Amino acid sequence: MFDFDATLPLMAVQFLVLTAILNAVFFKPLTKVLDERDDYIRSNDREAAERLAKTEELARQYEQELADTRKEAQAIVVAAQSEAQEISNGRIAEAQKEAQEAREAAAAEIAREKEAAMQSLEQEVSALSHQMLEKLLG
Amino acid sequence: MDPLVAAASVLAAALAVGLAAIGPGIGQGNASGQAVEGIARQPEAEGKIRGTLLLTLAFMESLTIYGLVISLVLLFANPFA
Amino acid sequence: MLDVLNTFNFLPIAELEVGNHLYWHIGNLKIHGQVFLVSWFVIALIVGASVLATQNAQRIPSGIQNFMEYALEFLRDLAKSQLGEKEYRPWLPFVGTLFLFIFVSNWSGALIPWKLIELPEGELAAPTNDINTTVALALLTSLAYFYAGFRKRGLGYFAKYIEPTPILLPIAILEDFTKPLSLSFRLFGNILADELVVAVLVLLVPLFVPIPVMMLGLFTSAIQALVFATLAAAYIHEALEGHGEEEHD
Repeated sequence: MFDFDATLPLMAVQFLVLTAILNAVFFKPLTKVLDERDDYIRSNDREAAERLAKTEELARQYEQELADTRKEAQAIVVAAQSEAQEISNGRIAEAQKEAQEAREAAAAEIAREKEAAMQSLEQEVSALSHQMLEKLLG
Repeated sequence: MDPLVAAASVLAAALAVGLAAIGPGIGQGNASGQAVEGIARQPEAEGKIRGTLLLTLAFMESLTIYGLVISLVLLFANPFA
Repeated sequence: MLDVLNTFNFLPIAELEVGNHLYWHIGNLKIHGQVFLVSWFVIALIVGASVLATQNAQRIPSGIQNFMEYALEFLRDLAKSQLGEKEYRPWLPFVGTLFLFIFVSNWSGALIPWKLIELPEGELAAPTNDINTTVALALLTSLAYFYAGFRKRGLGYFAKYIEPTPILLPIAILEDFTKPLSLSFRLFGNILADELVVAVLVLLVPLFVPIPVMMLGLFTSAIQALVFATLAAAYIHEALEGHGEEEHD
């Protein structure tokens, strides 16, 4: 049971050989695989973070542009509205002026006609009064 | 084998295992009790406590095993036989 | 003394053989053949699994590669927790191989019914239940931590014997002997005791009753492999660090 013999050194040598073999076929390659995977995951992580940052930047930019465009559209709408207002104001003023003129012209004509009518009426009055006078005196 | 040596060896082997079991028994009881207390106090640390407990139990167990090795020597590889 | 136990040998499956070996003679040296037979099986198993796992290593592991990577990460954690993040890499193969060899040896001894294979003398069992194997591993561990100490600190390594006071010199020297002794006897005793208990129970009740004890044996085998590797790593760490903690037992 406690008989030591050449088994001991041979087992030690065999174990050292096993260590060397396992170092070559197990520990080194698998450690490399694990480290490479760690690197891969880390770089992927970093890349993803970069992409995320880029996406956020883009989104921000788009939002900015969207806001700008909206503002511009607002301005255009406002400008168009004011222009339209102006045009309509002008037209209204013009129409009013025209109407005024027409009215004035009409009023002047009426006055002239009235005058003319008055004049002719006066002449007629004087003629009539002459006639009446002649008839009366006649 | 001298019957006296044989009898003494068998007795000694029994005593070796029996006596070697006392101390580690007490120690393992202590350790397990403390571990249970620890788990009761901090249930979230159960995994860690259990791992450490098993390792320390193995260390204490090995003391009994030394006694067993002595008794095996006496029984199977008796130097006085 | 063996005669007492061999009287039970009327049962073919339940034999208790302690101290019988299949001797091979090389020159005028004797070696234990059955230990080497099983250890070659164990080595073939480990190396075969490793080669299978690494010959076509993928980034996304599957099957055996996954399993071996799990084993490697376990060993890395073990070595890292004992030796520290900085020092563990050069010692990982040694500590890891210790664990793998002992673990697979123990479990192959417990799980594979070697006793069905008849040998002219002795019987096949776990290589770790032969004292030669465990002493060889323990002595290698001693050499490893001496090497680690020398490598790291040169002759200054011997300063640990007279620090903090030279009075403890005999104890410090004694420690160097008790370390391999306790390492080898712990492993040897546990595995042998386990196999003996199972054998005795099988002798008494051949069916079913020994199964719980066999499960316990599997458990202690695994724990002993872990303990051996952990202690080896702890000793190496102590030699690397100097003024380390006391021995664990």
